[in-house]
Amino acid sequence: MTRSLSAELVDFVQSGVSVQIGTRDASLVPEAVRGVGARVEPDRGHVVVFVPAATGTRTLANLEDNGRIAICFSRIADNRTIQLKGRARSVAAARDEDRAVVDRYRGELAQNLAFVGMPPRLSYRISSWPCHAVRVEIETIWVQTPGPGAGEALGQGVDA
Amino acid sequence: MTARLADLQSCFQGIAPSVIATVSKDGEPNITYLSHVYYVDAGHVALSRQFFNKTVRNVAQNPVVTIVLYDPIDFRAYHLCARFERSETTGPLFETMSARIDVIASHTGMTGVFKLISADVYEVVSLEEVAGYLTPPDLALDALSSATVGGGPLTELRGLQVVSDRITRAGDLDEMLSGSLTALDELFGFSHAMVLAVDPRDESRLVTLASRGYEGRTAGLAVKVGEGLIGTVAARRRMLRVAGVGAELRYGRAVRESLARRDGSQDLPPELPLPGLPDAQAQLGLPLLVGCRLVGVLAVESPDPFCFDEWDEAYLQIVANQIAQGIDRLGGAEETPLVVASSRPVRRFVFYRNDDCVFVDGEYLVRNVPGRILWKLLGQHAREGRTEFTNRELRLDPALGLPALKDNLESRLILLRNRLAERCPDVRMVSTGRGRFALELDCDTELVERDTA
Repeated sequence: MTRSLSAELVDFVQSGVSVQIGTRDASLVPEAVRGVGARVEPDRGHVVVFVPAATGTRTLANLEDNGRIAICFSRIADNRTIQLKGRARSVAAARDEDRAVVDRYRGELAQNLAFVGMPPRLSYRISSWPCHAVRVEIETIWVQTPGPGAGEALGQGVDA
Repeated sequence: MTARLADLQSCFQGIAPSVIATVSKDGEPNITYLSHVYYVDAGHVALSRQFFNKTVRNVAQNPVVTIVLYDPIDFRAYHLCARFERSETTGPLFETMSARIDVIASHTGMTGVFKLISADVYEVVSLEEVAGYLTPPDLALDALSSATVGGGPLTELRGLQVVSDRITRAGDLDEMLSGSLTALDELFGFSHAMVLAVDPRDESRLVTLASRGYEGRTAGLAVKVGEGLIGTVAARRRMLRVAGVGAELRYGRAVRESLARRDGSQDLPPELPLPGLPDAQAQLGLPLLVGCRLVGVLAVESPDPFCFDEWDEAYLQIVANQIAQGIDRLGGAEETPLVVASSRPVRRFVFYRNDDCVFVDGEYLVRNVPGRILWKLLGQHAREGRTEFTNRELRLDPALGLPALKDNLESRLILLRNRLAERCPDVRMVSTGRGRFALELDCDTELVERDTA
């Protein structure tokens, strides 16, 4: 069943938060890769995450194998974190119109990393283009902010 | 591209968060941030477990995990495939990890709430740098921030000789402490350092004996044993290094806010401010031990999160041992609880004979031996215009009531000086040589003696 993000979480997911993507292969070995931005579709039940071509080989192979995906969005300044889980419904090379989303994300991420001491001369070097657009149907939303509520499903008396 | 775990020490400082991906037995991936990955040995890392969560459940079902480490200096990424091996709940690894978490818990008001459940050890199956993660550097920008390299072992040895010399030659405690802190600053760049001693009247706390680089802000600072980095070093009698204080505190605050949201009735104590530099990013605390006895703590801080490494630990441990011996030789801390309050530019001193207590402008200043010493100095200054005094004449003055042996005069004078700096900076005791000091006043004094308050 598709879960929808609240308007507030849509803003959160599309802001300059850190994006990490988890997948696994056929023998249940996990893979982790940094994403370079996300765009939520108007139905709020699907999100497109961008995976750099330079680092995403294993991730894309895993998605082709089984489509299972977990995406962690974490705000650097205060560690507010959510995790979305679902199925990759399509994977395609990102198009020119996606470039603006990825570039804006890079700038916002660099700004947020600078806030905690990472100089933009380094954070701007994260490979981001070319990249793949992975369209994900959201099935579950989890609170991942550090603390006793981490790992609980959103909406069961817990806020992210 | 393979890498060696031992070469990735800067990834293990807790500055840049790491990432862990796990998979349940049903094949559902999970990915989350880790505040800190610990280096165990060339083939193992450890993760701290503070809470039970999906990662823990997944690892119980499927021990293979992927961890991504980020180097906080050059931002390279390293991909580790690892297999859960064991959980430790005692022993040196657990103690080290637990002490760090206690520091964060203590600073964020969560002592006892936020604590280490276990140190989970993973065998590293493969390790590689993430190829293509970063685009090539911009050489022009990088050149601007290249670090300078220090002077090598011979310089370090000579520096150690100078510090050691100052410690052993010092005639009094003040000279020993200020001499060694000055040398640490000038020769090695430890520009923010303090020495705290166990308060013999209340062994549950430490009081500042000397500091450098804080412009007087640490005068009168007291730290409870067990609280914060300094207090934890004292409680556990072990060296503790915390890099990325900012990252650790942010993590601690996030946990604290989660707790508060989850259970509004939780009555957490307030966050504890950092004792020295408000923007400290790296702290190193070393216990000052004489045999098994704790005499105090040496603490250094820096606004640079990468400031301290294993070399600093090893080096400062040698210096700390010498300072501990010096404090023991020249007299430990003594006297007076320290009630921190803002100084007020008032110059009316009242001495209460019944408890040897001095008030300045209606505020308690100091009592007992330091109170009698201050009263003697102010009286002689007012009556005779004297400004120069010697430790010897104080020792010989029966009215001060110093014991014949182990009179702790040095530390009483330091505490009096600190108290004046904190409460009444218009009056200063300035060292003018070994065993001599001058009384400097930026004010006129009105001296009143009373029997009781």
